Order: sequence, then structure tokens, then C-alpha cells
Amino acid sequence: MTTSEAPAKPKLTIDGQAVEFQPGDTIMKAAERARMDGTIPRFCYHPGLPVAGTCRMCTVEVEKAPKLMTACSTPAADGMVVLTQSDRVRKSRSGVMEFLLANHPLDCPVCDQAGECSLQDYNYEYGPSKSHFVEDKRVWKEATTKRLSDKLTLNMNRCIHCERCVRFTEDVTKTHELLMDNRAWRKELTTALDEGLFNDYQGNVADICPVGAITFNDFRFHKRVWFLKEKTGICDGCAKGCSIYADEEKDTVYRYRARFNKDVNDHWICDEGRVSFHTYQQADRIVQPLLTAGSTLNATSWETLVPWFTNELKKARRVLILIGTDASSEEAATIAQVLPSFSSADFVVRSWNGTGDGVRTSADDAPLDHLLRRRDQTSNTRGIEGLGIKPWNEAQDQNFDLAIYFRSGRATLPPSMAAKEIAWGVFSLAEAQRFAAVLPGLSTLEKFGTYTNCDQITQSFETVVKGLGGSASVRKILDGMKLKSNTPVREVAGDTI
Amino acid sequence: MTKIVTHKEGALDKYYIPALIVGLKVTLKQFYKTLFLGQSTTINYPEERREYSQRFRGEHFISVDPQKTENCTACYLCQTVCPADCITIVAGERPEDANPYGVKKEKRPVSFDIDALRCCFCGFCEEACPKDAIKLSRNYELATLNRETAVYDLDHLKREVKGRG
Repeated sequence: MTTSEAPAKPKLTIDGQAVEFQPGDTIMKAAERARMDGTIPRFCYHPGLPVAGTCRMCTVEVEKAPKLMTACSTPAADGMVVLTQSDRVRKSRSGVMEFLLANHPLDCPVCDQAGECSLQDYNYEYGPSKSHFVEDKRVWKEATTKRLSDKLTLNMNRCIHCERCVRFTEDVTKTHELLMDNRAWRKELTTALDEGLFNDYQGNVADICPVGAITFNDFRFHKRVWFLKEKTGICDGCAKGCSIYADEEKDTVYRYRARFNKDVNDHWICDEGRVSFHTYQQADRIVQPLLTAGSTLNATSWETLVPWFTNELKKARRVLILIGTDASSEEAATIAQVLPSFSSADFVVRSWNGTGDGVRTSADDAPLDHLLRRRDQTSNTRGIEGLGIKPWNEAQDQNFDLAIYFRSGRATLPPSMAAKEIAWGVFSLAEAQRFAAVLPGLSTLEKFGTYTNCDQITQSFETVVKGLGGSASVRKILDGMKLKSNTPVREVAGDTI
Repeated sequence: MTKIVTHKEGALDKYYIPALIVGLKVTLKQFYKTLFLGQSTTINYPEERREYSQRFRGEHFISVDPQKTENCTACYLCQTVCPADCITIVAGERPEDANPYGVKKEKRPVSFDIDALRCCFCGFCEEACPKDAIKLSRNYELATLNRETAVYDLDHLKREVKGRG
């Protein structure tokens, strides 16, 4: 009975091409594995949600089956022959589009989804050029737009009843806030409670909505999507390090969207992370070098500040370098290794976190819910630990005459000490008051580097936008210091770190 | 291949005055027409004005409804289509109490600037507009005293224009 041969993998044919699949796959899943799902349109199907099979847009022709089958819910079988673009299929999809558009308003110019709307794309591809409907469109006069929460706005007129949002709150967040009221064309999306949605992942509902029915208030009306450039990045809002798309135009980031990463965040990101880019674009972020003059901080130039900084290092006898756990591994390693070479002082390199009610190490970190959010609000605690940098112990490590605090905008301010303190990195004006000087650095969006997340997954990220104002990378500042401060630091060629 | 053309001096050329009259023929004709027949070719602008085509494209305006709410919904289509890149819109949400038709006009332009110095008056914005909001009037007197006033803001664009001006 025993055979040494591995059983042959089952195969089906999609548009004349043989595709291997795993037992239990649906036709859609098999097509996705073979990256052939581009020819199967879908509204209700989403890879991160359970299958509903309600929109009938993904119907495909299966040989020997009398009717068209939905690709999202039909299990793939060995030897199945699937046609995704036959005349029968296209005619069916055209009919589905006509029904959907019967009640869908023609307000694409005003709708925020225009440009990334499935309904627009599929209508262009499959839709009929004419509609048979002469009746008035269904309009919710009372409840056309309403706030589902302080983060989401619903425009019920645009809804096509795919129920992705309902399934999201049922199966992903498990909070069950959304439900569909009534039936047929009167079917209306409502919230179960008066206070609306309350989960921490509401932005995803706007992301997965195939039309412009649910929009995210933080982005709503701010930009037409066709102006935006989609860049990949990593959210630095917590220790999870979710993969994101950062959409920018002219070096301004307008929104984050979740990017699929099955090892880290699946299809989702949290709301806190989704709006975290605002921190780096706030008006009070310091983007010019600041130097103390008596009791106030005054704007200065790198040409003045870099020699001053080098001189302070030389004068000092015992220096504390405090690296925020939001620094990239490259930045932390560079600072810890290069800075001591400028002085004969005694250097102590320590890390500082302080977020989430006093997280110090990755051992203090814990998930806040069953999905993504973490207690540690910095992105590289594990990475800094991997470099062998220990957390700062206020009681033991004392008696410094110079303290340099480097961070990338997420770690909290460490308790102030008797030494002269220098801030390096991303700070707001209010935070910087107690420091003797501020060396404006780059935020996560403006540099490239590596973060190691809470699950020991090391991810590199790339530059999304240019550094704001006069902020400079660690490499540029150190290069400027090396050139004995005679050469202006901005003329030093070098990559961002 | 070069072609050499020679001009032989005739009797008219020799005596200067006839050649001068031939040269000034058009000028003298217009001089006579204006002075004796009253058929002038120029007009006394600005007292007199020329009749332009009904389709002439001049200074921009944004049409408003009876409540003086602009018809513009800040869809950015004009900004997208503009070949001279002279339109800058910032969109926002209209406050609910300032919204005479409920949700119909919930999106509005917070600011709407047209740089007339960059504009090439092609009329693409007018064609792209789904709300018939932005239009080009027939006013062609666009001279200003400084560059700042040549950038039309929303208040200026919403001015009353009868017909097409």
C-alpha cells in the first residue's frame, strides 16, 4: 500500500493555462496563487474576509457545469476547465454592472473613491454603455451622509451592498458594530449602537469599501487619489511594524493604507498608525538647527552648530548617548560607534523607550488586542536590543556632564538630568525647550533603514519623502563633523541613513 | 540654385516723387477715406468697443445659485485638465448649517485660485467642469496694477456676471 511517490498536485485549467492548487482552494484562491486573478472582477470577495458570494461579479464559466459559477465560492477540482473571459461570462458581468449602476449615483467627480473605485474600473471593463432603467434612482434623503463614528463617514447612496464592512467587524475585529437593515434595494447599512463604530481598526473599513460609500474622515476631501504617488513603507507607530503604502504628493504624505504582509499585519493596520504620519508634518516640528543663547533657543545654521557640537564633545569628560528605540538599527549603530571617536571622554550608550506607560525593554511589550496594536509605541526596540545597547537605568548611570538624546519622534522624553542636554532627531518646539541645542534629524518617512519588530521580523524601509526643511541625516552630520567643521555640512555628499 | 534678379531703373524711379506716391498708395487711400468719407478703420476705445464673438473666452468666473453658494464642488477636474497648471484648489467640507440643500453640496472649495498670468484661456476647465461652475466670461480687460491681483481668489470668481459678461 505504501508508495514513496508524493501524490501529484491537483491541477485545473484557467483560460487555457494549467494551474496547480492546494486541496480546499476555491477557483479564486487558485487563480490568486497563480497570479491570474486579474481577469476575475470582484466586489464582495476580499482575501482577508470570509467568502460571501453575494455580488455575482466573479462568475466564471466552468466546463460541464450548466450555470456560471462564482469563482470566490466554488471549490477547485482536479481537471476543472475554467474560462474567465468567455462571452457568456462577460454578458453576465455586464448584467450585474447594469443592476449595480441602476441605483448608484453619478457623482464620481465629487466622490473621493474616484480613481481607485472598483465600480468605475469594472464598469469601464465590463459595463454596458447604456442603461435600460428609466426610473428614478434610489436616494436616502434623510441619511445620505452620516457619521458612522468620528473617523468614518457613510454615504448610503453609493453603497452596492457587498457587505465587506459588515464582515470586517464580524470576523476581523469581532466587534459586530455594523449590520444591514431591511432587504433588497432598501437595504441600509446601520450601526448596532447609537455611538457608532468603536473599534481601533476603522480605517480598514474605508480601505476595503470597493466604492466611495465609506470614507475615512482624516483623508476625506483632502486629495484626489490620482494626484498621489503610492510608495511602500513601514508604519513606525508601534513595535508591530505594519507594512503600509504611504501616498504622497510633492513631498507631503496624505494617507497611509495597509499593505498586505502575511507575516506581520495581514491586510490591516490600526487607526492610530494610519494617522501617525501627521506627527512628522506638524507645524511645530523642529526642522532648523537650534542653539541655546542664554535662556532661549535660537535658530542657527549647521555651519555653526556642527563645530559647536564637536567642541562640546571634546570638552566633555563623561558623555551619555541615549538612543530612542524608534531609531533605525543603522542610525543607532552608527551613532554608538562613530560618536565616541570624536572625543577622549568616557562614553556610555543606552537606549530609551518610555512609551505605553513606561516600556523599557521588549519584555515589557504586550499586545493590546487580538489583532495588531502593541503596548510598545516605538518601532525598533528589538533591533536596538539586538545591537547590544542596554536600557538606561536612571539610578545607576549618573554623573554625566553631557547627554545626547537621539530619537525619531516616537520615544518619550527621558527624565531631565543635571548634565548639558542635546536633542538630536525629531522633536517638537515644546519638547525641545530644556535642551541646549537641537540637531533636527529625519523621521521614518524621510530616511531608509531597518526596523526589527516585536516578532523578531527585520524589515527594511525606503525613503518616501524629502527631509523637511534643514533636517539632516545622521550620516550627513557625522560627515560634517569629520570634515573639521570647515566645510558646510550640507555640501557633504552622502546618503541618508 | 541661386536665381539672380536684376531690377532696371524705369522712368518712375528716376523722378522719386511718383515712386513715393506709389509706395504710399495704401496710406493715402486710408487718409482720404478717414478725412473726407468718414470711414475710419480704428475705434475710439474705450468709448467705443468692438463686438466680440459670443464664444470669446475671457476672465473666469464661478457660477452661483440663488443663495450665492458657489456651484463648485471642488472635484479638481479643472485643476487636473489645466495645461498651464494655473488652478489651485483646496477642498473641504461645508459646515452643515451653511449648507442650504443638505448633503447636496457637502464638498466645497475652501480656496480656489486662478493665476491669470499663467492661464492660456484654452477653456478646458470650463469643458471639464461637471457642475458648470467655472466659466470664462467675455470680459477681456484683465490689466492689473500688480501681480497679486492677477491671481483670482474665490471671492473675485464668485462676482456677479450677467449671462457670460
